[in-house]
Amino acid sequence: MSVLASSSASAPAPTRLRSGGGMVRLRREGAIAPVSAFIVFLLVYVIINPELLTRFQLQTAANLVVPLALVALGQLIVVLVGGIDISIGAIMSLCNVVFATQLEAVPPPVAILLSLGVGLGCGLFNGLLVAYGGLPAIAVTLASAFIFGSLASEVLDRPGGGLTKEIYLATSGELVPFLPVSLVYLAIVAVLLWLLLQRTALGRHIYGVGSNMESVRAAGLNARLTKLIAFGLAGMVTSVGAMMLAASTVTGDPRSGDAYLLSSIAAVALAGAAFTGGRGSIIGTVLAACTLGLIGNLLFFAGINSYWQYVISALIIFTVVGLPVIWSKIAFAVKGARA
Amino acid sequence: MTDAQLGTAGPAQIPFQPEGERPARPEALLVATNLVKSYGPVHAVQGVSFQCNKGEVLALVGENGAGKSTVAKMLAGAVAPTSGSIAVNGEPLISGSVKKSRQSGVRCAFQELALVADWTVAENLSLPDGAPHHRFSQKKSVAAAAELLGTLDLPHIDPRATVGSLSLADRQLVEIARALAGGPELLILDEASSALTPPGVAWLFQRIRELTAEGGSVIYVSHRLGEIAEIADRGAVLRDGKVAGEFVRGGWTDDELVSLMAGREAARFFPDPPPRITDDVALSVSNLKSDGVHGIGLSIGAGEILGVGGLQGHGQAELLRALFGAAPATADSWTIAGRTISGTTPVRSVRYGVGYVPEDRKKEGLALEMSVGENLLVPWFKAYQLGGRPLLSRERGWISGILDALSVRTRGPKEAAGSLSGGNQQKLVFGRWMDRSRTVILLHDPTRGIDVRAKQELYAAIVDLAKQGVGVLWFSTEVEELVHVCHRVVVLYQGAVIDELEGERLTGDAVVGAAMGLRAAA
Repeated sequence: MSVLASSSASAPAPTRLRSGGGMVRLRREGAIAPVSAFIVFLLVYVIINPELLTRFQLQTAANLVVPLALVALGQLIVVLVGGIDISIGAIMSLCNVVFATQLEAVPPPVAILLSLGVGLGCGLFNGLLVAYGGLPAIAVTLASAFIFGSLASEVLDRPGGGLTKEIYLATSGELVPFLPVSLVYLAIVAVLLWLLLQRTALGRHIYGVGSNMESVRAAGLNARLTKLIAFGLAGMVTSVGAMMLAASTVTGDPRSGDAYLLSSIAAVALAGAAFTGGRGSIIGTVLAACTLGLIGNLLFFAGINSYWQYVISALIIFTVVGLPVIWSKIAFAVKGARA
Repeated sequence: MTDAQLGTAGPAQIPFQPEGERPARPEALLVATNLVKSYGPVHAVQGVSFQCNKGEVLALVGENGAGKSTVAKMLAGAVAPTSGSIAVNGEPLISGSVKKSRQSGVRCAFQELALVADWTVAENLSLPDGAPHHRFSQKKSVAAAAELLGTLDLPHIDPRATVGSLSLADRQLVEIARALAGGPELLILDEASSALTPPGVAWLFQRIRELTAEGGSVIYVSHRLGEIAEIADRGAVLRDGKVAGEFVRGGWTDDELVSLMAGREAARFFPDPPPRITDDVALSVSNLKSDGVHGIGLSIGAGEILGVGGLQGHGQAELLRALFGAAPATADSWTIAGRTISGTTPVRSVRYGVGYVPEDRKKEGLALEMSVGENLLVPWFKAYQLGGRPLLSRERGWISGILDALSVRTRGPKEAAGSLSGGNQQKLVFGRWMDRSRTVILLHDPTRGIDVRAKQELYAAIVDLAKQGVGVLWFSTEVEELVHVCHRVVVLYQGAVIDELEGERLTGDAVVGAAMGLRAAA
């Protein structure tokens, strides 16, 4: 009897189950609003400043948003497991100066590995205290931000380092005309992360740990290790962002990450991620970071005082985060009126 | 030593054994010896020993706090015993690891649902068994989940739906399906039927019979004596963390078992609803519409206990939430104690004299970190009054009155609500509305998953409220409660009232029949 039930149930199932998976997932992860916001923003930008589509401006804009997008992705991973990383700016500064100073001493590939290693180490330091020490992420990362920041100043106390024009061209130039190479790096990191989060069990565990740690543990999964890996991974992604920043500004700067702390949190918020964990999307975060990163440019071209940049950023966040809430209220009222 | 006794047990740690190779005589699958679990000074379990044979259903019964759940968690590996040993097929179980227990063929459906709400059904079903570095494909997991749900006869659950969007009953079904997946040797059901409706329980029993026919064993933890009578071959009664007695199928009565659990002579009984004295209407609403509620009209008299029946997910939760103002709702007319209102919010509802006992005591009912006293006082806090200690001492009389009236087992008003057992937590959620001149109380299955003694204390309290002239709207998943303790029962089906049962027509069969969508001919 149960055999009968199974064959009759599974026969129509595949066709029924396949439809519209990606859209559903985007909506569930809260990415529809930031993606739409980015499209609208880009249209407005191109209307106000059609020059964006020239080679020079594309390259400048890409170099501006790519470090922010990478750091925001790092922040997203920590937020997905239900944490928050206040030290992300300091990790960025530290990786930035490690990369810049090591370029003077060792070949570039070694410097890159060292910088990645420092990012991983910082992330694991936070992750160990949070996952295995059971301390709150906000307190741990706030404290470690001071340590990482001091270390960065110790490594390099004023802007400098051994960055060269070759490195600038390799990271921030153009791959082919109209395709800034930094966007390629961002795409590679984002796609790898997406594969990890959506197509491996570890990635789904990261979502699960943020959604409900106790349930994941009761199901027999290693929730602590998952958290630790997420923090370590976030540190490495942040390090990539730090190197991109160092390369595009052709300088190492021990304070370079400071501005990225709040921007990364803002981008994750704009991406519709849940700060309690378990919800957030890669594409939403990347596009949210692009939107926030380009606001300053847009205002410049629109002839508005750049102090308004933060107010406009705030308004965009209010709108994008608020619209789904208002929309659901309207939908309910419409449904009620129709019934 | 258990190894010596069980030296002849078959090859261990192989969850899937072909049929027909099993010896006919009963053979111990699981032997628990002298299990002890202490949380600091609290001894949750103190020396429990029992064994479960192959192919049998062993019931674990006992009141809340008797240690059943702790024992189940130790078997499942979620909790490591302080001392004592567990052997499966003669091999000692590596304690304290759910994963190791699962690999030994021991799987558990937990009472406090262990599903991840943001994961889809398919993800919840497939992820626990994959190693973290393995590839994960949504499409494949959905197909596998659809097949599993199909073989388990649960085609109505969509594997792509997030678990958070399912009803409590469906979530419980998914939890059970996950434990059943992969053919466990020993299935532990820890209050797994608490949110299930009669057809759901019948489904569960069918699965249990299939499992035991293949030589698997089931440890069934439940408060529902009717279910235990039907399904359990043997059973052990736990009381205060010890085994108080054992029983075999057919060799016990409800009353015997209840007195064994309570450790005193106690009869299982339902109080009769008190006689109505007035015809005043406490609450009436017509054509109430909300998400999941499609035009419900009902009126509750003062001092009347109005039961709400029906299968889970047919609008009962939504009805109560709408009536309390916790979900937006509209109605053609709506009165509370004769006062016409156009809509309500929880704040206004409390002012109008409505009380609400929500579905999930841990999520919606209590602030677990706060004290017992503060949790009782939650609806009565005012922004401008003193809080904390001064408030507790001013309200001491009322608080201790409530704690006494409901026999809440607590160390006092300052204990954290989270450290109380489930039944006592439920009493707090209920108790905050007592002696506070309420007009209507809305109850969402207040007796779900609590023990017999606590249930009877709640019944008495509900009847007392009705005697004081409070209208009670009581949604229950236990048909017996509706039939015995209510004046009248409305049965919901697909978000509307399908039948209203009273007097002669108020029988268990009628309630179940109406819940299935059959309207009895008048």
